[in-house]
Amino acid sequence: MPKERLLAYLLLAPSVLFLLVFFAWPFAEAFIVALQVRGEWSLGNFATMARDINFAPALRNTMLLILVIVPLQVMLALSMAMLLTRIRRQRDLVLYIWTIPLGISDLAAGIVWLALLSEQGYINTVLDALGLIEGPTLWLSYERPVALFVAVVAAELWRATAIVLVILVAGVQLIPREYGEAAEVFGAGAWQRFRRITLPLLKPSLQSALILRTILALEVFAVVVAISGRDLTVLMGEAYFWQNDYRDAGVASAYAVLILGISIACTLFFLRALRVREETEMR
Amino acid sequence: MTIQRWLILAAVLVLCLWVLLPIYLIVVSAFGPRDAVFAWPKSFWPVDFTTETVAFFFGAQGVLSGLLNSILVALMTMVMAIALGAPAGYALARFAFPGKNVYRLLVLMTRAFPIPVLAVPLTVRFIEFGLYDTLLGVALVHTALALPFAVLITSSLFLGIPRELEEAAWTLGCTRLQAFRRVVMPLAMPGLAATAIFAFIVSWNEVFAATILSLENRTLTAFLISVLGESPLYFKFAGGFFLIVPALVFIFAIRKYLFSLWGIASR
Amino acid sequence: MAGIRAENIRKIFGTYEALKSVSLEVADREFTVLLGPSGCGKTTLLRIIAGLETQTSGEIRIGDRNVSGLPPRRRGIAMVFQNYAVFPHLTVFENVAFGLRMKRATADEIDRKVRRAAAMMHIEQLLERYPSQLSGGQRQRVAVARALAVEPEVLLMDEPLSNLDALLRMEMRAELKGLLQETRTTTIYVTHDQVEAMSLADRIAVMHGGRIVQYDRPIRVYQDPATAFCGGFIGSPPMNFIRTQPVEGGGYRIGGAAFPGPAAPAGEILFGIRPEDLIVEPESGPGLIDAEVGVVEPLGPHLLLTVRIDGQPARVTAAPDLDIRVGETIHLRPGPGRIRWFDPATDQAIREPA
Repeated sequence: MPKERLLAYLLLAPSVLFLLVFFAWPFAEAFIVALQVRGEWSLGNFATMARDINFAPALRNTMLLILVIVPLQVMLALSMAMLLTRIRRQRDLVLYIWTIPLGISDLAAGIVWLALLSEQGYINTVLDALGLIEGPTLWLSYERPVALFVAVVAAELWRATAIVLVILVAGVQLIPREYGEAAEVFGAGAWQRFRRITLPLLKPSLQSALILRTILALEVFAVVVAISGRDLTVLMGEAYFWQNDYRDAGVASAYAVLILGISIACTLFFLRALRVREETEMR
Repeated sequence: MTIQRWLILAAVLVLCLWVLLPIYLIVVSAFGPRDAVFAWPKSFWPVDFTTETVAFFFGAQGVLSGLLNSILVALMTMVMAIALGAPAGYALARFAFPGKNVYRLLVLMTRAFPIPVLAVPLTVRFIEFGLYDTLLGVALVHTALALPFAVLITSSLFLGIPRELEEAAWTLGCTRLQAFRRVVMPLAMPGLAATAIFAFIVSWNEVFAATILSLENRTLTAFLISVLGESPLYFKFAGGFFLIVPALVFIFAIRKYLFSLWGIASR
Repeated sequence: MAGIRAENIRKIFGTYEALKSVSLEVADREFTVLLGPSGCGKTTLLRIIAGLETQTSGEIRIGDRNVSGLPPRRRGIAMVFQNYAVFPHLTVFENVAFGLRMKRATADEIDRKVRRAAAMMHIEQLLERYPSQLSGGQRQRVAVARALAVEPEVLLMDEPLSNLDALLRMEMRAELKGLLQETRTTTIYVTHDQVEAMSLADRIAVMHGGRIVQYDRPIRVYQDPATAFCGGFIGSPPMNFIRTQPVEGGGYRIGGAAFPGPAAPAGEILFGIRPEDLIVEPESGPGLIDAEVGVVEPLGPHLLLTVRIDGQPARVTAAPDLDIRVGETIHLRPGPGRIRWFDPATDQAIREPA
């Protein structure tokens, strides 16, 4: 019906235009800015980026953070989702508490963990009481890169596991109870039911969660700055410092292009690695 | 109760504490005296409840204007995301048309990119167009961040309102617009409100683009991160507390919609 | 009040032809039922008449107006939907008043007409409630009252009873029949339930594969199906069909009995008879069909027998007190004038030359 079609396009047009201007165009612009030095086409910005002493650690730290945070988060969220299926009373309350971090920004999370881990902080108080350390101890300094890294991991785990949890719980709710019950009738134990029924059927949700989390882990920035200043470098942080402190849009854009490139690669990887066959889709 | 049930209960409680304890401690820090941050050993109970730290925080230059800016940017984001996203969501939910899948793919694709990083190339143009260091400029990028979610969420929202209700309204004398206003809107209202709050949180929490695109007119997050290096600890803690408060309130307000919001938004 | 005329309506969805040039005429004050299996096009036709769907070609006339291009609100119709489509955010009163408000009726008029429609559907005591506080049957009543309140020229109903449970459905069916006899509104009613169709209709339009295959009074549709499909779709259990060839010297032999009949178009013919038109006789005799009993189901009012006639399955209803055993051969007398003949190739009924 042409009249309806016209209406549909009219309704879509504003959002399409907006996404073109504020998504597609800056996307292209990132490449253009990154590939130009003083109006000339050049790889200079990338060269500057690669030569910078912070580049290699930033790249390494970002990748390490992804490799450590994402699997930990998925495992933790999966355990939480499974626990939720086992509790009857107050399930809604528990779910609400567990999803509170959804609304907490990475900056706030960084500050919270700074409070916990500061020299005279709460965690040191506990460690001291347990006799593990003696008196206030400075963890968050450039001399203790491992401690900085662990602190960032803890803050991210605290803040962003909730989003994975929501995706997985939504996925679990889609799996009909009868499947598990049928498996139980045929003699599958709790672990086998999880391995052979729940996990395979959860694959689409896992895929979404992994993609989303990896992208978010690439964006890690404010947490790191809040906890370590610039003592622990990450790619997003470098893009920020080059843009904000050095006012060099070219190198900052080179970082942006690198981050975009890595995110595309990760997305493609997860789409392939966790390919969902049509016939196993439940919808 | 079996041992297994006790174990489950214990695990659930530990995980609840894991979420709640840090929030509790930042509250204790924010409402303790300023020098309490250097107290040793730390008390886990609130000692000397005082608003001294909070008052100092709000007295600091840039905090109140940052707060105001954050609210304004978030409100603009909210309005733009709904105004642009809801019509598209409605079109996706109600019409079949060529290009529908391409559009859906475009929207889904935006999720595979860290959108805030796009603020970097945008600064150049924003300076040209006079959008740099304006609240509108930041709100535009935040809208780009929230819009794909708004489209997907509202589309499922409208899908959940039976088409027959609209058709019934047409047969009873409504034009398309009247049917939308009298039947669809009232039914979609709670969900739209939740979507708006979602967009508000997205903007409220965003740091990177807000910082990159502004110099003087900073949102609270952008202001905090730029002064973080020179700030005393108690100032940071008060800041952390005030970043978290709206999140808690909003999450509570839209808890019924959490799943349709984040669940769909991440599909 | 007005009649409805649909002329050569075609509807193509992509490559699928849902309606193949359908014409239908409903007289003023007539109750027509569109009956057919799912996918036959009956709902599509109704929605085209309502203006919710646009025909690929053809014309819709309501009264003396050509309404083909008009939106639903300008067609003078009201519709009752399968899922009731009662507005959940409005009270029952506001639901029933909805159409009147759209017509900008005065407050007095709205109040009067809503109360009258509510009284007709016996929902006066529910007017202040919200739909979520109502049962399925009550919502159905609201939906009908809402449609009647606007006093439409034409009432369209899309499987309105199909979501109710069996007992409630029977009750509502009787009530609807009484109500519509009283209001005498021109009505088109879509259903796949042949009992509903038989019970309610002035005329039934049987639809199959995007066509109307028969349009006639219920009893005629039942007794003289225009196609084998009609005979099989209407009636429970459905009409029996025995495939057979003519014998030498003319006529046919079914279960050992000889019957005269029309010429077989391509050497084969279908012998059709309804289960209740086969009468079980105690003794074998001329003109009686021999059938071997396979299954006996005592259903209460009658026995339902599944038998084989010339190796082909058939159903027979017999008196409940007959002593019939599985494996036994029984003798069946076709009721006078009840035998029908069909062309197996075209499905069409073949009339015996009178």
